[in-house]
Amino acid sequence: MRLYGVIAAFADPEALTEAVRTMRARGYRRMDAFSPFHVRGLAEMLGMRKTRLPWAILGGAVAGAVFVYRLILYSVEIDYPLNVGGRPLHSWPAFLVIAFEAAILGAALAAFFGGLAANRLPEYYHPVFNATSFTYARGGKFYLLVEAADPKFRKGVTKGQLTRLGAETVEEVEA
Amino acid sequence: MAEAFAAKPGALPVLRGRHDLPEISGRISAIVLDGRLPRYFWAAFFSCFVFVLIFLYSITYLISVGVGAYGINVPVVWGTMIGNFVWWIGIGHAGTLISAVLLLLRQPWRASINRFAEAMTLFAVAMAGLFPILHLGRPWFFYWLLPLPNTHMHWPQWRSPLVWDFAAIATYASVSLMFWYMGLLPDLAVLRDRAKSRPAQLFYGILAIGWRGSAFHWARYQTVYFLMAALATPLVVSVHSIVSLDFTFAIPPGFHSTIFPPYFVAGALLSGFAMVLTIAIPLRWAFSVQDLITLRHMDNAAKLMIAAGMIVIYGYASEAFFAWYSGEIYERTMMWQRAFGPYAPLFWAMLACNGAVLQLLWFRRVRLNMPGLFAIALIINVGMWIERYVIVVTGPSRDYLPSSWGEQSLRWLDFGILFGSIGTFLALVFLFIRILPAITIFEVEELAEERGSAG
Repeated sequence: MRLYGVIAAFADPEALTEAVRTMRARGYRRMDAFSPFHVRGLAEMLGMRKTRLPWAILGGAVAGAVFVYRLILYSVEIDYPLNVGGRPLHSWPAFLVIAFEAAILGAALAAFFGGLAANRLPEYYHPVFNATSFTYARGGKFYLLVEAADPKFRKGVTKGQLTRLGAETVEEVEA
Repeated sequence: MAEAFAAKPGALPVLRGRHDLPEISGRISAIVLDGRLPRYFWAAFFSCFVFVLIFLYSITYLISVGVGAYGINVPVVWGTMIGNFVWWIGIGHAGTLISAVLLLLRQPWRASINRFAEAMTLFAVAMAGLFPILHLGRPWFFYWLLPLPNTHMHWPQWRSPLVWDFAAIATYASVSLMFWYMGLLPDLAVLRDRAKSRPAQLFYGILAIGWRGSAFHWARYQTVYFLMAALATPLVVSVHSIVSLDFTFAIPPGFHSTIFPPYFVAGALLSGFAMVLTIAIPLRWAFSVQDLITLRHMDNAAKLMIAAGMIVIYGYASEAFFAWYSGEIYERTMMWQRAFGPYAPLFWAMLACNGAVLQLLWFRRVRLNMPGLFAIALIINVGMWIERYVIVVTGPSRDYLPSSWGEQSLRWLDFGILFGSIGTFLALVFLFIRILPAITIFEVEELAEERGSAG
């Protein structure tokens, strides 16, 4: 059995947050926390950098609007220009409506697929599911996983530290 | 109504009682996984299914015979298909309002009702999307609305509100679906882990796409979910505004008015919240979740109904006032004919439902009386359908030339398609409750944790 890490279960988000803070202070860097709902500030504490997703979403909005507006311009000015009583071919107020909808659609697609891609989902296999204590089934548990790849990781020492932080269970996770 | 009398004024809680996290996820997922359904669930589903069959028969009849088979005729060439379309799309909007706008405003009471409100949006948009296509006369050419490369070298007319409408509805349906699935993801992981049977584990496991609740995932999830909510908010306003442009860009008296976009959006919210209550009141009673979907939710939804309803009433007043103030004989005639002409009973029924009955909601006793509130919600649903029908029909029926005045009559096919679509919508809601968690597990858990009621 190759060891992926050690996972500890805590009863509430406060205990988990405290454990993350202490373990970071002790120099652990390769850690992940799991919770049934978003615990504010936890990811920053674990060393997550500010996400660039909002820029991707803005990019999606601009790309959607520009693509559709150009498509309309191509159709009315180049591919099929139709002179109706000398009115301008480029009647932009009418074109803005669909360009707006396209901006929203582009941004939403970027948000949805960009968000999934940044989280590397869908993911077929992840070692954390090997831990018998890790499940949503019993509801409301908060987990801290310390990876074996962490330079500070010593199996016995790390397990002892997690137990002393008030973990309900501490379990080794197979890779 | 012991429930109502127990609650002190101004102190309606979002969640009632103490909940611990395993209890919340256990109760909500048991509905899906153990099939703990109320006694008449399947009987109710199958009575809706009869209407699905009626819907399919009516659509088949409409397509094989042609649009003349329902009540439209020159000069009134827009009939119940367009009315149904506007009505259904409006119903969908309350779901987006609850899930997106209330999320941005950080209203905690949205948490237990947003899931089924979003499902309601999706099904309502699915129903709405059918009607313009059925109205086309040759529905199999609907893809001509898309800018597809093709051999007959045509393009859509970009300046037409009908093409804008197509773009708006398609965007709205896609964004609603993505937003809904995003919100479902953590709950699907709960179902995956709680499922006992292999098929259920596989089904929810595939849908959960490996969600494990990592802190890094949650941080990005939060960013994306909020931004999608921020996108859905202007979208929902633009969609119904564009729907109203279908009318205002045309010149028949009664259509050509600048009040239409805000008036339509407010009407959409009114009918949407009426539909939310129509579903929520039986749901909380049938599944005994009165402590998760509380009187606070009902009270707030009723208050939003009255807010939206007063804007709608302002719209009615503004339409009538500007018809008179414009000095245009055609506008004045149309308004007069709307109130006292052949469609007068419908016009007054509309005012009675959306104007008079709505006022009952000012009273707290009425808002907290569930059978009463349910009845009012149904009446407003009916009233809003009548409103859409009155708007669609009365304008063209009293056009500029009195010689071309005419009415349309409703035929069996109008009713077959309307009631068929309602039955299909409800059948989809029943299936949704059976297959997916109707209450958002993770948000209710978060709420319970924040309120300190977690054990």
